[in-house]
Amino acid sequence: ESHTQYERVGADVTMKCGSMDWDAAVTWTANGTDIDESHLNGSYLILKNVDLSQSGQYSCYEGSSWHLKYQTYLRVGTPPKEPVLMCRSNNYPKGFYCSWHLPTPTYIPNTFNISVIHGTKDMVCEKDAVPKNRCHIRYLQLFSTVKYKVTLTVTNALGKNFTTLTFDEFAIVKPDPPESVVAKPVPNNPRRLEVSWQNPSSWPDPESFPLKFFLRYRPLILDQWQHVELSDGTSHTITDAYAGKEYIIQVAAKDNDIGTWSDWSVAVHATPWTEEPKHLTTEAQITETTSASTSSFMAPPTTKICDKGAVVGSGAMAVCWTAGLVVAAYSVLFI
Amino acid sequence: PTGDSWGIFTFLCAALCNLPALPALNCSEELGAGQSIQQTYDLTRYLEHQLRTLAGTYLNYLGPPFNEPDFNPPRLARAERVPSATVDLDLWRGLTDNARLAANYRAYSRLLCYLRVLDGQVGTAELRHRLAHFCASLQGLVLSIGGVMSSLGYPLPAGPAGPPAGPPGAPAAPNDFLKKMDDFWLLKELQTWLWRSAKDFNRLKKKVPPAVVTLRLEARGF
Repeated sequence: ESHTQYERVGADVTMKCGSMDWDAAVTWTANGTDIDESHLNGSYLILKNVDLSQSGQYSCYEGSSWHLKYQTYLRVGTPPKEPVLMCRSNNYPKGFYCSWHLPTPTYIPNTFNISVIHGTKDMVCEKDAVPKNRCHIRYLQLFSTVKYKVTLTVTNALGKNFTTLTFDEFAIVKPDPPESVVAKPVPNNPRRLEVSWQNPSSWPDPESFPLKFFLRYRPLILDQWQHVELSDGTSHTITDAYAGKEYIIQVAAKDNDIGTWSDWSVAVHATPWTEEPKHLTTEAQITETTSASTSSFMAPPTTKICDKGAVVGSGAMAVCWTAGLVVAAYSVLFI
Repeated sequence: PTGDSWGIFTFLCAALCNLPALPALNCSEELGAGQSIQQTYDLTRYLEHQLRTLAGTYLNYLGPPFNEPDFNPPRLARAERVPSATVDLDLWRGLTDNARLAANYRAYSRLLCYLRVLDGQVGTAELRHRLAHFCASLQGLVLSIGGVMSSLGYPLPAGPAGPPAGPPGAPAAPNDFLKKMDDFWLLKELQTWLWRSAKDFNRLKKKVPPAVVTLRLEARGF
């Protein structure tokens, strides 16, 4: 006879050789390897303080005949800890989904059971094929005052545990991030970047349930983000970009009235349009080009720094830009 | 998209106003409908924010368990007399503009009635003051919805002329705890209605301007 046996990590395990007497002569093997007699108490196999590495197939053979008398598959694991459950509506008003996982592995098979109660009604949460550990529910009614109560129970051979979430229909609304975010420079506009994006495809009805958006952007070299909130439209032109600097841009979405902001979209990079660098030979030309490209953030100080002891050549341009930017960064910090 | 609809609408309005055979249309009235829908929407958002503070204060006044965030009592039959915002999704989508506006008008009129009853009963001066202010704003919302309905040519629903004590036949709460439960559900329904109205007026915002012109043309036999 053969079966599976589950034991907790750290437990002491005693295995009997089937129906053999205690004083019978037997040999035990673990995964085909003979086990030393020191682990035996008569014909019983004693494993103290088992650990995960001791999982495997244990077989017991009668001493002289080598007949297989007993076989068991030992699986060492732990009872489940309290599972982590999350429910979210990224497709309002269609419904919501719940997903879960265990905070630490149990090393043995677990079954999950999820129940959803809405007031007095039991609802069925349909399990998704992919990803596993996820199920979805369709709303039958909208604008409900009664909370939803979701209970997740996890069970394995060594124990069980559960967790509960209670929430209002409105509280779990969180769209997916906006899609297809694109940022482009605007020709002949050294301080502009045109950003456009699309509603997340999982949001089913943007006409009746419009989304609003939050845009954040910063030059790669600075840590501080700038933010713009947009109540409609799926595009925006940034007009205060630092000329010539590469920007990182992200967008988030939220239902106009309820719920929470989505995660940030995938970041896009863009650099505003710059004029083709010309070959400079005189100090006067450097000053001219520099002041033409500066803004209210960067005006007089930049020109002065570049004026003093300016060196002919494109290397000087780089110095001017960096100096101007440092000054601008400081002024931004002090605003 | 909103800009385009306004452009078409304004053009049509101007064109119609210039047709010699017709008496001049009151264009400002039609434009007014679109604007007052926006104003009504803004008012529901304002009330929703106001309600959060009011509800917090009121539930603390009621004391535990009403002020606990996890409090999730079953609906008792008696609570059904408070108009519910809950509705079947397809039904809600298919509501005509008239039905949509009328549902809001009726709901807030009744909720206002109940809130006024509450106002007469609460203990602290602070609560009375907050409730009075909220009731005034809510009255404004009812009037605003009524205004939108009138400007679109819809008749106002028959007033909920129920006495301040509530609809006839509804028994007063037999004990203090059940009375508090009634108050709890009243606030909950009010909150849900304000969330729903934001969505109702979103739909109306997008649909009304062209529909208004069609309505007027029909009235003149075109």
